[in-house]
Amino acid sequence: MKWHSSHSVKYNIGIVITVAILLEAISAVQYYYAHHLLNDELELRVLSELRFKAFALQQTLEQAELSLQEHLWYINEYLEEPDSMFVATQRLIHVNEKVVGGCLAFVPNYYPQKGRLFEPYAYEECDTIKVEQIGGKDGHDYTENPAFLRMMSVKRPFWSDPYKYESATGPLSLTTYSYPLLDKQGEIIAVCGIDVSLSWLGDTLNARHIHSSSFDLFLTGTGELIAGPSEDRVSQQRVQHLVALINDSTVRRESTNNERVKVINFYDEERHDEGFIYYASMKNAPQWQVALVCYEDEAFGKVKTMRLYVSLLMLAGFLLLLLVIRRTVNNVIHLQRANMEKERISGELRIAQNIQQQMLPKQFPPYPERDDIDIYGSLVPAREVGGDIFDFFLRDEKLFFCIGDVSGKGVPSAMVMAQTHSLFRMATSREHNPARIMQTINEVVCEGNDTNMFITLFIGILDLPTGRLRYCNAGHDHPILTGKDTTEIPAMANLPIGTFSDFRYEGQEQYLPAGTMIFLYTDGLTEAKNNQHKQFGLERVRKVVGENSLSTPKQLLKWMDDEVHRFTEGAEQSDDLTMLAIRYTPKEEVDWLNESITLTNDIHQVSLLNAFVKSVAQKLEIESVLARKLQLAVEEAVVNVMDYAYPVGKDGSVTITAKGNGKNIKLVIRDSGIPFDPTVTAKTDTTLSAEERPIGGLGILLVRELMDSINYERIDGKNVLTLTKRIKE
Amino acid sequence: MKTIIEEQDGKFVATLEGELDTVAALEVEKALEPLYENTGKDIVFECKKLEYIASSGLRILLTILKNAKANGSEVILRNVSDNIKDVFNLTGFVNIFHFE
Repeated sequence: MKWHSSHSVKYNIGIVITVAILLEAISAVQYYYAHHLLNDELELRVLSELRFKAFALQQTLEQAELSLQEHLWYINEYLEEPDSMFVATQRLIHVNEKVVGGCLAFVPNYYPQKGRLFEPYAYEECDTIKVEQIGGKDGHDYTENPAFLRMMSVKRPFWSDPYKYESATGPLSLTTYSYPLLDKQGEIIAVCGIDVSLSWLGDTLNARHIHSSSFDLFLTGTGELIAGPSEDRVSQQRVQHLVALINDSTVRRESTNNERVKVINFYDEERHDEGFIYYASMKNAPQWQVALVCYEDEAFGKVKTMRLYVSLLMLAGFLLLLLVIRRTVNNVIHLQRANMEKERISGELRIAQNIQQQMLPKQFPPYPERDDIDIYGSLVPAREVGGDIFDFFLRDEKLFFCIGDVSGKGVPSAMVMAQTHSLFRMATSREHNPARIMQTINEVVCEGNDTNMFITLFIGILDLPTGRLRYCNAGHDHPILTGKDTTEIPAMANLPIGTFSDFRYEGQEQYLPAGTMIFLYTDGLTEAKNNQHKQFGLERVRKVVGENSLSTPKQLLKWMDDEVHRFTEGAEQSDDLTMLAIRYTPKEEVDWLNESITLTNDIHQVSLLNAFVKSVAQKLEIESVLARKLQLAVEEAVVNVMDYAYPVGKDGSVTITAKGNGKNIKLVIRDSGIPFDPTVTAKTDTTLSAEERPIGGLGILLVRELMDSINYERIDGKNVLTLTKRIKE
Repeated sequence: MKTIIEEQDGKFVATLEGELDTVAALEVEKALEPLYENTGKDIVFECKKLEYIASSGLRILLTILKNAKANGSEVILRNVSDNIKDVFNLTGFVNIFHFE
């Protein structure tokens, strides 16, 4: 068992390690793919947002350009009237809410009546549009303005870089679109400028974001910050750091999903987190850059949380699995042990079954050499071993038989059955009074019968020469006799064996006519049940026996067996089923010799006896060696009677009758003395040494050895001893 | 039934002749009385003419054998016929007697 446990521990550890590695691998793969998927998803969302924001900016600028160009006709129409130019500038900012200011800076001396510098300027202040001429006002000389100078040389529209302007309502982030106003010769007559507010960029664009900590940055094509998040969200220092990163060409990489988009991974020391900057340039002028910043923990925090949860779940599952494995292994070990135990028990039961079967008579026909008796028996236990018993044996021309049923089934019954079997053999060894045999068995069984097992038992002793059946019944089912009629043996019930040790069993007797068959059975036959729980019943048993009154015992048992099986229709056998059938067919032989001699109980009369035997032997033409044997046997038997049948000094007689034919001789010795059965004396042990050999016991030993059979019966107050011998084959 | 006891070469030689049945055994038992008080001499039974032996005869022989053995002497059965030997066989006496 030690090997088993260490083996299972190694096995368990192996499983644990394998499962742990497997779980970790699953978790890692899952995390990798989830991260990858989320990364892709994030980038797609970032790209779409970038596109959206770049588009919004582009649109704002384009709308400003468009609204300016739409008003050019008005300026051209009223160019001759300098004062109409104030209305023109006013209209410029009126149509587009993002345009906060507009001006027309005319080349010097274009309107002589207005002086050298003329610049009408319209602007929004407190929701009203104000217009004034600012050329030359407070020394303002727009001809020195870089934008004006630039326009004079390039003569094409352009956007200025964004700049800050301190308006009356607060600082504004502005950009100015400059547009040349040309005469018919293509010469510049004025520079038209509109101021577009970019303050909304920071407010509106920052408001819509994929993650709460994400924010946008707008930069010029040359990398200068246009707009970013408000300072309460992101510090100026951080913004500067990010702008520097965007302007550093060595840290960027291209996005996997869109090659126009650049990506920078960075570590934010303020947040202590990894971050990403996605940025791209606008397609059209002024080709500013839009950047989106987001952070690892927000983008992938959920994946990490998920991974943690998954890991915890797996750990829990893993522990559960361990428990299940442990349980399973324990169960398997238990099951193995239980199986081994079961195997051992069933092995022992098989042996017990063999032992029990060997106790029963198993050779059929048991006496093939005899034509006066035919026996067949069978015992089918409901389980491996059973509590039924049957037995028979022949001694001195007497058939001893019994059938019994121990209460209960299985091993306990089988043990009592084995005990009963031994007791039957023991009790019958010196006794042929069935009541006394029953008495002896009962006394032994009652002694120490703490389990209160009891046995119903029927014992019968059939004297074969005479057909005298003596029997004693201890609560067993009555055997059935069949021949001319079919009847039950009218047996007294008595008590079953094992109930009261002082119970007096009574025996009965009757003579069996030649050709009678005795059928004995246990209640497993009458109580055999079919699937409807109906019993086979005594009536059916009697019927089958009656119908087979002329069959052999073997045929009868087969018929009975077939009938029971037909009746039970394969229902499980619930009790041991035992049957025993004995057919008695004595042969009446005609004896042409029948002579008798009567002697007194005097030893000296033996000479007369010997002369009688010799003369009988002569008449039957028995050869001399056999004749000597007969003489010796008869002498010993008669001397035995003379010695024991009558008390010393009392006169008595012994009659010897010789009957014979060419085949057999039968010598019947009768006396009226006290009941004395010489056949039950202990068998003399012929192997003892001279010192140990008792002086007596030789006579009956010789009678047994010399004759074919010796048979004692007490009939009508007389001891009747019958000796038989076959004289010719 | 005839029974003769002689002494030869320091041994008792008992010759048994005829049928040693139950009746004869009564005489033989008396005739063989000297052998019961054995003084250490071996006993030889001459059985050439013994025709029959009953259990009573066997008992006499067994009694003599027991006494002889107790005194350290031997009992020898000489010239036993097959019929008689058969009876010795049946009773197991072949194992305890010495045959010549």
